[in-house]
Amino acid sequence: METCCVVIINDKLCSSLLVIILDTNPIWWGKKRLSGEKLNLTHCVDSVAVLANSHLMLNHKNKLAVIAAHTDHSVFLYPRPPSEHTSPPKAPLDGQFEVFNQVENQLRSEIKKLIASDKQKLDEMFEPVELPSDSLVAGAMCKALCYIHRLGKECPIGETLTSRILIIKGSEDCPSQYMNFMNAVFTAQKQNIIIDACVLDADSGLLQQACDITGGTYLKIPQPLGLLQYLTWVFLPDFEMRSKMTLPPRAQVDYRAACFCHRNLIDIGYVCSVCLSIYCTFSPICSTCQTTFKILGPQKLMKKKKKI
Amino acid sequence: MADDDDKGYRWETEYEKTWEELHEDESGSLKASIDDILHRAKKRLLTDRVTNVRLGMMRHLFIVVDGSSAMSDQDLKPTRLIATLKLLEFFVEEFFDQNPISQLGIIISRNKRAEVVTQLGGNPRRHVKALQTLSSQACQGEYSLQNSLELALSTLKHMPSHASREMLLIMGSLTTCDPGDVREVVKTVAKANIRCSVIGLSAEVRICKTLCQQTSGTYNVILEESHFKDLLNSHVTPAPASTTTDSSLIKMGFPHHGLGGDTEEKPSMCMCHLDSKTSEGFSTAGYFCPQCKSKYCELPIECKACGLTLVSAPHLARSYHHLFPPEPYKEFLTSDIILVGKVCCYACQIEILDPHVYVCEKCEQQFCLDCDLFAHETLHSCPGCASFRELQTVQATSLS
Ligand SMILES: [Zn+2]
Ligand SMILES: [Zn+2]
Ligand SMILES: [Zn+2]
Ligand SMILES: [Zn+2]
Repeated sequence: METCCVVIINDKLCSSLLVIILDTNPIWWGKKRLSGEKLNLTHCVDSVAVLANSHLMLNHKNKLAVIAAHTDHSVFLYPRPPSEHTSPPKAPLDGQFEVFNQVENQLRSEIKKLIASDKQKLDEMFEPVELPSDSLVAGAMCKALCYIHRLGKECPIGETLTSRILIIKGSEDCPSQYMNFMNAVFTAQKQNIIIDACVLDADSGLLQQACDITGGTYLKIPQPLGLLQYLTWVFLPDFEMRSKMTLPPRAQVDYRAACFCHRNLIDIGYVCSVCLSIYCTFSPICSTCQTTFKILGPQKLMKKKKKI
Repeated sequence: MADDDDKGYRWETEYEKTWEELHEDESGSLKASIDDILHRAKKRLLTDRVTNVRLGMMRHLFIVVDGSSAMSDQDLKPTRLIATLKLLEFFVEEFFDQNPISQLGIIISRNKRAEVVTQLGGNPRRHVKALQTLSSQACQGEYSLQNSLELALSTLKHMPSHASREMLLIMGSLTTCDPGDVREVVKTVAKANIRCSVIGLSAEVRICKTLCQQTSGTYNVILEESHFKDLLNSHVTPAPASTTTDSSLIKMGFPHHGLGGDTEEKPSMCMCHLDSKTSEGFSTAGYFCPQCKSKYCELPIECKACGLTLVSAPHLARSYHHLFPPEPYKEFLTSDIILVGKVCCYACQIEILDPHVYVCEKCEQQFCLDCDLFAHETLHSCPGCASFRELQTVQATSLS
């Protein structure tokens, strides 16, 4: 199709930074494995490595970062912080380009470390504790934005760096991160950073909103085993390329709010006029800002005003 | 540079200037002075941080920009019009941050006429884009106060009565060219409960003073550009009179957005374009009121059928950072934190070579100065606090 055009944008003055946020939630990946799903974390990391290398191949100035959004923290898989002593990369096997080999190896070894530390934590516990089945995606997004901000500052004058974030997620949304998540989304919007989402399981209302607000592509992949194809066909091309391609139609966005009291998604709710907290039922006091409300419901107030 | 120093809010330009200087001179001695300026600027920022921000809801504001030949004057750089439009871009962003469920529109007056640039709406991007296209257009002819007022009035009078109706006029011209008696229009505007404020760019004009007095708005004439910015910013916060004194729980609807991909669905007319003669608004896509199923093409809006205020969750979320800002970081000497090895910023991974590190007391992570400023000024979330499970529940309950 149009992939040949990708080469044309190989402009010296333009480079692109791709930050991939990979959901490494052990509970979700574990469940997938138990249910006999063919797609496993190793397969997924391999696909991500191919996407990452393809991105680096498009332009030698292109930059890459991969962040793992884990269940209790988030961590940079690539590049590693300079504080770490990294052994010099092994000589590539089959004549592979050095950086590519490095990306692939590093992703694999960091993921291994992550899982090993999880295992250790579980072993140290006295009694089995239910691990949360959601991941801290908002934290990873905040880190991604800081990293993008840093590379933007380091970018030489006269060159432009366009950045985007791709979130690959399987686990459910984390409602307690709502505020951090939305702050990250609005920051991305203000800085013209696109957020793309590739969802491996149930639809994510939060990611749909993030993609819609920032102009990114949201895709819930119908065939998990085809992950690599979806990644390279849909998410490798940058924003300008996409307008020329026939991509899956945009999905319906669920703009419902989650109430602060139960985290339920609601169609109709009550909003505190002082702090904008959302509640699913009328309550006389706002639990967020401690404001007390008049007994007279706002609905009655409104009707009264209308009669006048 | 010393002059600029006294104007607290211009630290950013100050920084950029020094940065340019560094490029001219490669000697290492300049770096120390820049670091110093940065530190001072940062400290000032932290102390200046506004704590209690008043949020406004359901404001309807028309901004009237003077596009007459008087705006080509160069007492503001590069011209009055371009300086005004640049400042308005910031104003629009700020306005929607602090007035979540509000609408804004832009009118320009030139050639003795007034024309709508953007209709009232809640999408900041649309307004900013329109402002950017305006800046490439020339200033022409005379200003017309009457036409501007009448044009804004024709839309604002249809807005719900319990929401605020406002106009902000930015006027460089000292004269107005009106087809009729402008004083009669001023009376009508006052009767319609529209609060009019004027920012004059040259000198006081009598009719503007009358207008502001009769509509209980404010009238100011700018001294120089930073004063202009201050005056504009004062209109971001809702006027005391327009804020309802009692706090209340407001019933709101969060509509579904249908994209019209469904072939089962029949196209319908949206409520906002019912009166229009064109086919605009006739489709299967739109936002549907959860109470009465009326369809609208833009949010936020008050449902015309059942009176429910319709918003999307992000409209509200856009303002949360004003209410729940992250705690300021504590400054430490890098040498106190770690004796051997490298210190890296938790957020951007950079190796911190600066003698200072910034530490969040909640998550105990270390950050570089750039990330500290970015987290507090732009992101409004701490990357560390957002990245640890233990802090998620704490954050959710200790919002107050
Ligand atoms: Zn609830
Ligand atoms: Zn409240
Ligand atoms: Zn940093
Ligand atoms: Zn923190």
